Amino acid sequence: MTPKLEIEPGSSNAYHTGAWRTQQPVYYDKWPPCSQTCPASEDIQSWLAHATEQQWQAAWRKLTERNPFPATMGRICYHPCESACNRKHLDSAVNIHAMERYLGDMALVQGWRHQVLHETPQVQRVAIIGAGPAGLSCAFQLARRGYPVTIFDAQATPGGTLRSGIPSYRLPKSVLASEIDAILALGIELRLNSRVGVEVSESDLLDAFDATFLAIGTQRPRLYSESSGQDNGTTPSHSVMSGIDFLYRLNRGEAMQLPKQVAVVGGGNTAIDVARCARRLGAAVTLLCPQDPHGSHHHDLGTEMPASQQEVVEAETEGVNLRYRVGVRRLVRSGEHLSGVEIAHVDRVHDRHGHFNPVLFAGTEEFIPAGLAIFAIGQEADWQGLGYLSQVGEAEGVWIGGDAASQAKLAVTAVGSGYKAAMSMMATFKNEALLFDARKKTKITYKKMQLHYYPKQSRHEGKVSEARLSGFTEVVKGLVDDNAKHEAKRCLSCGVCFECDNCWHFCPDAAVIKKEGGYTIDYDYCKGCGICAQECPCGHIEMEPVTD
Amino acid sequence: MDRRDPFRHNVLTSGHRACSGCGEAMAARMVSDLIGPDAIYINATGCLQVFTTHNQQSAWQAPWIHSVFANAAAVASGVEAALRAQRKKTPVVVQAGDGGTFDIGLQCLSGMIERGHDVLFVCYDNEAYMNTGVQRSSSTPHAVHTTTSPPGRVSQGKRHLKKDLISIIAAHNMPYAATATIAYFPDLKAKVEKAMGITGPRFLHLLSPCPLGWAHDSALSVSVSRLAVETGLFPLVELEHGELTGVMRLAEQKPVEAYLRPQGRFKHLFDSKEGGVELRHLQALADARIRRYGLLETDTQWDTHSAMQSARHGRGGYASPMSTVEALNSDA
Ligand SMILES: Cc1cc2nc3c(=O)[nH]c(=O)nc-3n(C[C@H](O)[C@H](O)[C@H](O)COP(=O)(O)OP(=O)(O)OC[C@H]3O[C@@H](n4cnc5c(N)ncnc54)[C@H](O)[C@@H]3O)c2cc1C
Ligand SMILES: Cc1ncc(C[n+]2csc(CCOP(=O)(O)OP(=O)(O)O)c2C)c(N)n1
Ligand code: SF4
Ligand code: SF4
Ligand code: SF4
Ligand code: SF4
Ligand SMILES: [Mg+2]
Repeated sequence: MTPKLEIEPGSSNAYHTGAWRTQQPVYYDKWPPCSQTCPASEDIQSWLAHATEQQWQAAWRKLTERNPFPATMGRICYHPCESACNRKHLDSAVNIHAMERYLGDMALVQGWRHQVLHETPQVQRVAIIGAGPAGLSCAFQLARRGYPVTIFDAQATPGGTLRSGIPSYRLPKSVLASEIDAILALGIELRLNSRVGVEVSESDLLDAFDATFLAIGTQRPRLYSESSGQDNGTTPSHSVMSGIDFLYRLNRGEAMQLPKQVAVVGGGNTAIDVARCARRLGAAVTLLCPQDPHGSHHHDLGTEMPASQQEVVEAETEGVNLRYRVGVRRLVRSGEHLSGVEIAHVDRVHDRHGHFNPVLFAGTEEFIPAGLAIFAIGQEADWQGLGYLSQVGEAEGVWIGGDAASQAKLAVTAVGSGYKAAMSMMATFKNEALLFDARKKTKITYKKMQLHYYPKQSRHEGKVSEARLSGFTEVVKGLVDDNAKHEAKRCLSCGVCFECDNCWHFCPDAAVIKKEGGYTIDYDYCKGCGICAQECPCGHIEMEPVTD
Repeated sequence: MDRRDPFRHNVLTSGHRACSGCGEAMAARMVSDLIGPDAIYINATGCLQVFTTHNQQSAWQAPWIHSVFANAAAVASGVEAALRAQRKKTPVVVQAGDGGTFDIGLQCLSGMIERGHDVLFVCYDNEAYMNTGVQRSSSTPHAVHTTTSPPGRVSQGKRHLKKDLISIIAAHNMPYAATATIAYFPDLKAKVEKAMGITGPRFLHLLSPCPLGWAHDSALSVSVSRLAVETGLFPLVELEHGELTGVMRLAEQKPVEAYLRPQGRFKHLFDSKEGGVELRHLQALADARIRRYGLLETDTQWDTHSAMQSARHGRGGYASPMSTVEALNSDA
């Protein structure tokens, strides 16, 4: 006979230790610094997570929610996201732009089509002036949501400065054209050779449309004046030219003959593009940069040159001769021809009011022989014929974006501004408040992460072409498949759970419950020790005070 | 019966009364879920026993007995002999604190090993008698402040050294003895699984931080146990029949100060000149352990970096949870 137990034990589950808690863990999806820094606000963590699982199309769809130009931007964007990437505190930043390009190229090869989000057509008609990245991005967002959109552009081909300014060794024309075709396939009307203010009048436009997006870029070059160094005067000639004219002509396919020696003036990306193109046309090139080189600028006076560091390295590799902190004193001519430029040390480029007004030090002059001087010293919006539109704003149904509106002259900034304008327009049409991502509120820095939980892995790069100077073929190749798979996995998933199980393993109270596809905290038992938050590699868990 | 979690048994379930952030509760939860509910657990007196069986409410979802403080290994020997007589293969697991292992339980443990009982003995070492209010044990490290080893004129905390228990155990011609800790779950899992695959006496020595007795922030239990390993103060080793067969290599040796700083039990060492001497003593002890076990040079399966790396979709969990949960359900 089995003796009967005097006491039947109960389960400790009956006792709710959660009542002890003074703080509690909460799972939050946060907004990583890459996305914070990306001017198009791409959800980089999220599309890289799809790529990690090799769900390539899902990754591309997530990416293109904010940026319909992955193949283009993956090539030419200066990727501020990577400078902000938390991974650089572990080894080196995730190669975000190469992954973006990989997805963009895959979409072109596979012929993936953008999806329309709303089948029911909307009534408000939108006019977009300018078929550059800003205008096309805005059109993309509106057309996906059923709005009838018409884009007007003065030129014969869409793409704006991406097409007319950027040389094809960085961005092959076919890549840009294919991505634009995919956008236009959403049913966007494109009217080329139609300069608003000239071929199309402002009033015709305002009569026919409910809203207008001005995305006219900055197409007018700032010119060099021999008398004052100011912006007026000198007409382009065969021996003096503006950087964008030079690039426009080259990109239109014009065969250009250059003298043996060329001087390029400027410290921005356009100057570098001009110099690298001139090298490809066989000239010896001296780049006269008014600023200091990267990493060694004069803290009181000079600023770092604005060109991207990577571009500078490429230019040096290709044999461009760089001179820093120099300005042009005068052009030295012999008759019709240019024999060179006289340069001198620049103490200061802009005056206290920010106006271009260089101070050159006497006694530091030097002669640089050159048969052609190309000035890439800035450009501005061309408002000709746009008297009314330039005066009004959103209250009158006119939005503005891209280079014409922003300080940061980046293609991806233009894409982001197109997105924002579209969202703002639609909110106005529907009389709704403009909603921003909830995740953006909670930021995540590497200090809130446990980087020691991640293995070190070196960054994968695209190959650089050997025959780079022999023409205008693309210099940097895309990632090979195997490298792309590994590069995606380098993302630390900052602030977003990647199901590592740490919180589940480490909770001393079995208060973290693992379910298919996620975790929950059982607040009946959580004592609020904080271990889960402390040991979460990616900083997804936040400890909050218990309020009630 | 708690069946909240489809991915593990929760052999040690919620509602237990351990302090917030208890490393011993965490260690016992991991070990018991790795072994599963189809085992008999024998518990010596101590925190684990008290906090899991308070007020007639048990946190154990498996057969569990409380022995007394000294005799857990003797009770386990008897249970194992009885099972053997009935030709049953149920695993027998002893759980005890450092007091119940290094001190009062040592004689019974030695006898159990010497007689060759097929039992796994797990020591949850929190380096003092915590359940009775933090008294020093023979496991308490040198220079630690406990209620019975206060720093003062005579000594800077405990005067004596921590007993080298793993060597004593290994000297029994022991089939398997290993040290482990909560910070390295994959290592702990490998050692529990290896132990469960061996017949005969087996011993696991798990360092289990105690936020109350060590006076560190409750959130830091895992971090502190990791630092104990990374500084060399608590080497992770495996010994088979007295021979060293495995160590966890240190990817990088951290200074002992990194481990001592977050813990209030070492606070006095940072306040005086005499304390400074003991800091150097503790560093020398860590260096000696690193030399003795070859922690910086031995070629090993993993090191202190690789053994803790996270991966998307987990690092592998507990032994066949679904099948056992189903088995449990069909029993009920
Ligand atoms: C040489 C060069 C290289 C560059 N390289 C890079 C780079 O590598 N990475 C990067 O991120 N950015 C780069 N940029 C900057 C980038 O090209 C611009 O930031 C971006 O193109 C701006 O986009 P947008 O849509 O505002 O204007 P744009 O691309 O300039 O497009 C404006 C469009 O509006 C049209 N337009 C103007 N006025 C009218 C009108 N009245 N009626 C109808 N159409 C009109 C124009 O024809 C043009 O097609 C570079 C710029 C230059 C000049
Ligand atoms: C023979 C005997 N002496 C003293 C006690 C009181 N006692 C209960 S638990 C405990 C300390 C347990 O220390 P340890 O084994 O290290 O376990 P911990 O509580 O630290 O986990 C003591 C001294 C007892 N129960 N039996
Ligand atoms: S690691 Fe990933 S989520 Fe974090 S900043 Fe870099 S790309 Fe973004
Ligand atoms: S580890 Fe567990 S008990 Fe501690 S705060 Fe997290 S959920 Fe709560
Ligand atoms: S610890 Fe791991 S599983 Fe838990 S929230 Fe963080 S990333 Fe997700
Ligand atoms: S006293 Fe220490 S070992 Fe005991 S329950 Fe509290 S934290 Fe755990
Ligand atoms: Mg103890």
